[in-house]
Amino acid sequence: MKHLTFRFRAVQSAAILGGISLLVAACGNSTSTTSGLAAKQVLKFPVYQTAGTFDPGQADAEVDTEITQNVFSNLWRFDDNLNLVPDLATTVPTLANNGISSDGLTFTVHLKQNVKFNNGDAMTSKDVLYSWNRAVALQGAYSSNLSAIAGYDALQKAAGAPPSSSSGAGGTTTFRQNIENKLAANDPAFQLSGLTAPDANTVQIKLAHACGWCLTAWSLQGSTGSVVDQKAISIDPVNWWSKPVVQGQPGGMVGTGPFYLSAYTAKQSMVFKAVSNWWGSPKPTLTEVDIAIHDPAAISGDVTAWEQGNFDLIGYGGNSSNLTYPLIQGIKGNATYASQLLTKPKGRTTWLSFNVGYPATGGPFVGTSAAAKGLRMAFALAVDKAGLATTVCHDVQCTAATGGLITKGLVGYLGDGADPLAKFDATQAMSLLKQYDPTGKLTANLKYSFNAGGLNDPVAAYLQSQWQTNLGVHVTLDPSSDASQFISNRLTGKYVMARDGWQFDYNHPQDWFDNLWGYLATAAGANTSGFDDPTYDSVLKQADQMPIDTALPLYKQLAQILQQNVAYIPLYYSVANFAIHSYVKGAGSNSQADYYWNETSIQSH
Amino acid sequence: MVTRGTLIYIGQRLVLIVFTVIVVSFGVFAVVHSLPGNAFVSDRVHGRALQILLHQYGLDQPIPVQYWSFLKGLVHGNLGVSLYIRDLPITPLVLRELSVSAMLGGAALIVTIGLGITFGVLAAVRQNTWVDYLLTGIAVVGYSVPSFVIASLGILIFGQWLNNLSHGAFFYPEPWTGTYGTLAELSLPAIALGFYTSGQITRITRAAMLDVIGQDYIRTARAKGLQDRIVILRHALRNALVPVTSILGPTVISIITGSVIIENIFGIPGLGKEFVESIFQHDYNVTVGVFTIYAFLIGFANLTVDLVYTVIDPRIRY
Amino acid sequence: MATLLPEPTVEYAGGTLASEQVSLWRDGVRRLRRNKLALAAAIYLMLLVLVCVVSLFWTPYKPNLVGNCPTYDLPSAAHPLGCDDLGRDSLSRLMVGSQVSLAVGLATAFIVLAIGVVVGLIAGYFRGVVDGFISLAINIFYGVPPLLVAVALYVLLGPSLINIIIAISATVWMDMARLARGQALSIREREFIEAARSGGARAGRIVFGHILPNALGPIIVQATFVIPVAILTAAFLTFLGFGVPPPTADWGGMASEGLPSLQGGFDPYILLWPAMALSVTLLAFNFFGDGLRDAFDPRQKR
Repeated sequence: MKHLTFRFRAVQSAAILGGISLLVAACGNSTSTTSGLAAKQVLKFPVYQTAGTFDPGQADAEVDTEITQNVFSNLWRFDDNLNLVPDLATTVPTLANNGISSDGLTFTVHLKQNVKFNNGDAMTSKDVLYSWNRAVALQGAYSSNLSAIAGYDALQKAAGAPPSSSSGAGGTTTFRQNIENKLAANDPAFQLSGLTAPDANTVQIKLAHACGWCLTAWSLQGSTGSVVDQKAISIDPVNWWSKPVVQGQPGGMVGTGPFYLSAYTAKQSMVFKAVSNWWGSPKPTLTEVDIAIHDPAAISGDVTAWEQGNFDLIGYGGNSSNLTYPLIQGIKGNATYASQLLTKPKGRTTWLSFNVGYPATGGPFVGTSAAAKGLRMAFALAVDKAGLATTVCHDVQCTAATGGLITKGLVGYLGDGADPLAKFDATQAMSLLKQYDPTGKLTANLKYSFNAGGLNDPVAAYLQSQWQTNLGVHVTLDPSSDASQFISNRLTGKYVMARDGWQFDYNHPQDWFDNLWGYLATAAGANTSGFDDPTYDSVLKQADQMPIDTALPLYKQLAQILQQNVAYIPLYYSVANFAIHSYVKGAGSNSQADYYWNETSIQSH
Repeated sequence: MVTRGTLIYIGQRLVLIVFTVIVVSFGVFAVVHSLPGNAFVSDRVHGRALQILLHQYGLDQPIPVQYWSFLKGLVHGNLGVSLYIRDLPITPLVLRELSVSAMLGGAALIVTIGLGITFGVLAAVRQNTWVDYLLTGIAVVGYSVPSFVIASLGILIFGQWLNNLSHGAFFYPEPWTGTYGTLAELSLPAIALGFYTSGQITRITRAAMLDVIGQDYIRTARAKGLQDRIVILRHALRNALVPVTSILGPTVISIITGSVIIENIFGIPGLGKEFVESIFQHDYNVTVGVFTIYAFLIGFANLTVDLVYTVIDPRIRY
Repeated sequence: MATLLPEPTVEYAGGTLASEQVSLWRDGVRRLRRNKLALAAAIYLMLLVLVCVVSLFWTPYKPNLVGNCPTYDLPSAAHPLGCDDLGRDSLSRLMVGSQVSLAVGLATAFIVLAIGVVVGLIAGYFRGVVDGFISLAINIFYGVPPLLVAVALYVLLGPSLINIIIAISATVWMDMARLARGQALSIREREFIEAARSGGARAGRIVFGHILPNALGPIIVQATFVIPVAILTAAFLTFLGFGVPPPTADWGGMASEGLPSLQGGFDPYILLWPAMALSVTLLAFNFFGDGLRDAFDPRQKR
C-alpha cells in the first residue's frame, strides 16, 4: 500500500510540472523530476551477501542478478509490474506482429540500432549469438532457459566433454578458455543451429519444439539471456566480471545497461557509475551507486547509519529479508521513519515436502496408498499455518501460504484459501492419525530435515511443537548447517520430511512446475519429493508448449494433482522489508527484484 | 646477546613452524575436503551444472593431487582461488582481512596488557585492601565471563541504554560499518576481546610484584628513602614483567581465538569472520588458507615472545 | 606457554607414606572450608546440579512448546523470566539449558583426564622417541587456535552433543598431557620408583600403580579447570552456530538467539538470562577450582 501512494506522488508531481505524458512520468524519467533533485546523485546502500559471480552465463543467485540487471540487458525485460517490455529488441514478438511464426517455432527479433556497450562498442546481432552460444556452452545453472532452441543438446555435448586437465588449478582457465577459443574461431559445433543472424540488426530463433514460457525465461535479467561483449571477455575470460570498466579501454564488466562497474573489492565494496549518454531510456539520474558489502551481523549498525542518512536504503540486492523483526519494530516505532518502511510480498514460497517416492530411504509417507496419503494429510492438517505466520514471522516477515505453491501476485496463483492443504484442523488430523496409525508405530521415528539459518530454525521448532501438541507425535529435528548437503540429500530422497521452497526466476508457472516436479527436473535429478505422476508429466508437457492464456487452466490442474496427492504442506509466503528514505524517488521492488537504478533519483532533502 | 645457541634455537623453531604449517594445512585440507557437500549445490545447481563446476575447479580430482597443487601454490604465496566468489584470488583477500584482524587484535593486546599490568600492580601495592579484592575479583570475572557476554552487555549499555538516557546525545555506533572501523567502533570489540586475557595478566603481575616487593633489594631501595612510586616502577615492575612476558604467547593465541567470536558478533570483516563464513560456504581454499595463516602467526608469535624473553631476562639462554 | 621452553618442574607435595597422604587430605579439606568464596561456589554448583536433575523431570512449562505465551513477553508472575522470540518460557529453557553445559563440562573433563593422563604419563615415563613424538603432537596442537580446530572437527562429525564433546576434548587435552608428563618426569626419578623397577615391576604397573597415584593431586586440580574451559568453548561453538541441534535449549545457543532481540534495545532479557547463567556458572567453577588448588596443591602457581 505504502508503495502505491509513493508511486502516485511521483505521477502527481509530474502532472503538475506539465507537458510530459503520464506514461513517461511513470517510468520515472529524469526530466520530469529535475526540479527537486539533490545536487549529489549518489545512491548508497549495504548488501549482506557477496555475489558469487556477475557473469550472466554463470550467475545462479538472486544477489548476483539484482545488481547486474542494471549493467546487462536482455532482448526484453520485466518492467516494475513484471510485464514483459522490449529492451534491446524493438518489440515483444507475438503472432500478431509476426514476431512469432504461426507454428510458434520461429521468433524473429529486430534489435534497436543505437545500442552501445558501455565500453563504446556497438551492439549487433552477432553479440546476441555470441552471448547465447556462450551461455549454453558454459552449462551454468540457468543454461536450461535456452534449452528449447534447436541445437541446444548438440552444443552442450560439444562443449561439455570436460577436457581432462592434469592440474587442479588450471581447470577453470582450460575449460573457459577452450569455449572462448572455439567461439572466437566460429567453430560450428559451438553454435546453436537454431540461432541465426540474417543481418546486423535481426536475430532469428528457431525452436526444437513449441515453447510458451521461453520468452519470459530469455528475459530473466543478468542471466543466460543477457548480452555480453566478446571483446571484453576475451581479455580475461575468467575474471572479466570482477574487473572495473575504465573509460576508453575495452575490458572489464562490460554490458549494455545504464550503469557500469567502476570499482570492486571483494567482500568490501562495489561502485557503479552511470553511463554517460546511455542509449536507452529513462536516462539514469543517479551518477553513482555505492554498495557496501557487510556482514549480516552489522545490520543494526547499518540501520543506525541509515537513520543518520549515511545509507539511502537497506534491502536492495536480494537482501530484503535481512531486516530482523526487532529492527523492523524499531523503525515502525519511530515517528520519522515509520513511513519509510516498505513492505512488499516476495515471490518466494516455503513448504514442507513429504518423501513420497523413495521407499528405501523414505518413511511412512512413501507411496500413493490411502494410508500414506492419509498420514500425510494428518500431518498437513495438524499445522496451524496462520499461527506460524504470527508466531514465527510476527506477521511481518511472512504470510500464511493459503493459495497454493505459486506465490500470491504471480501468474498461476490459485486464490486466497484455495489450497486445501493450507487448512488447519487438529480434530480431523488426529482422527486420520488414529485411523492410519492406530498403534503409533508408523510415526514413531519421524525426522524433519532442514538447512539451518534464517526462519528455518524457528519454523522447525514451531512444526515440532505443533505435531507434538496436535498429534501427540514427536518428530526429531535434523538441521544441516550445510545447505549444500541438505539439498543433495533432498534431491536424492534421503529424508522423510524436508523443508522445501522456491523463489521464482521469471513470472511463469513453468518455472515452478517444471523445475520442481517436471520432466526437466526429473532429468536433472532435481525432483524434490520423488513425486512422479504420468498424468502430471503429460499435462505439464502440453501446458509448456502453449501460450500462457490457454496453458493456465492446465497449470492449475497440475497444482490440484499435487494437492490431491498431499505432496507437501504449504507453510508461508515471504515478505520483503525495505527501509527506504522518502527522498529516494523511484526506489522500490516488485516481488521479483529491485526497481532499476535508472528509474531512481535523489530528491533534495 | 645473539649467541650460536640462540641461532640454533631460532633455526629449530623455524623448522617446527614450517612442519606445523604443513601438518596443519594437510589436516585441514583433508578435513574440509571430506566434509559433505560443496560450495556450489543450490536449488538450481545440481546434476550436470554441478559436475561442470566441480570439474572447472579441479574438485573432481583425488585429494592428494589437489593438495599437491595447493602446496605448489603455497610456496609462491598463492593460496588458490575462492570457490564461493568464483575465481577470486585468496591471498590478497585474506591478507586484507588479516590487517583488519591485526588492528583489532593489536588494540585488544593494548587493552589486555594495559589493564592487566595496571590492575596487577595496583592490587599488589594495595595487597589485602578492598582495592586488591576488587581488582582480583575483576580479574576472575575477566577470564570467566565469555567474551560474547561482555560484548553484548557493551552493546546494550553503550549502544542502547546510555543512548536512550542521554536522549541520543551519547551515541555508540554499535556494529562495524566500514572496512577498518573508526576508533569509536573499535573500542568495544577491543575491550570485549582484551578483557578475557587481562584477567590472567592481572593475576600474574600481582603475584610477581608481591614476590619482588618482598625481596631484599626493594626493601633496601625503600630504606634508602626512594619514593614508593619510583621503587615500584623502576625496580619491581621491570622484574615483574618477566613472568608476564612468558604468558604473552598464550595471550596472543587467546586473542586470535577470541577474535573469531568478536568479529562475528560485530560483523568485523576480519580473518575470524572469514573462517566461519568459509566453513559455512564450503570455500575450501579459504578455510585452509586461514588455518595456514593462523599457524604461521602463532608460530611466529611464540618465537617472538621467547626472543623478547631473553632480552628482558638476560639469565635465559638457549 | 612458549612451546619449547624447558618444562616447569612441578614438584608434588604429596609423599609416599599413607599417613602423610591422609593428613594432607585433611589439611586440604580444612583449607578449602576456610575459603569462603570457594565454599559459596561449591554451594552454587550443588544448586546447579539440583536444578539440572529437577529439569530432567519437571519444568514450569514445556521448554520446547512454541507459542506458550506471547512472543517477546517481558518477565511476569506467570513467566518469571519472560518468553523468547517464539513464545517459549525462558525459565524452563534456562533450567533445561543447564543439562547441556554440565554434560559438556563433565564429559570433557573425564575424556581429557583419561586421554591426557595416559598420553602424558607414557611420554614422561618412557621418554626418548615416544616422548619426542607425543611432544611434537602437543606442540602442533598448540600451534593452531583451539576454537578453529573444534569448529572444523564439529562440522566434520556432524551436529550432536557427543560430537561437541569430542571436538572440544580434542582441543584441550594438551595441558593435561603436559602436566602429567611433567609429573611423570619428576616422579620417575624418585627412589621408590627405582625400587619398584629393580623389584621387577612391569612398566604399566609402575606408571599406573605408582606414578599416577602420586601425581593425582595436580591432575585433579587441572581437571576441574577443564570443566569451565569446556563449557566456555561449547558456548562459543553454539554461539557461532555449531551447536546442539535445535530445539534443545542450551545457554550458548539461547544467547545467540537473543542477540538479534538486543537490536534496538528490543528485548534484552532473552540474551541476559543465559548470559548470566553461563557467566555465574563459569565463575563458580573457576572459584571452586582456585580454592581446590590452593587447598590441595599449594605449591602449584597458576
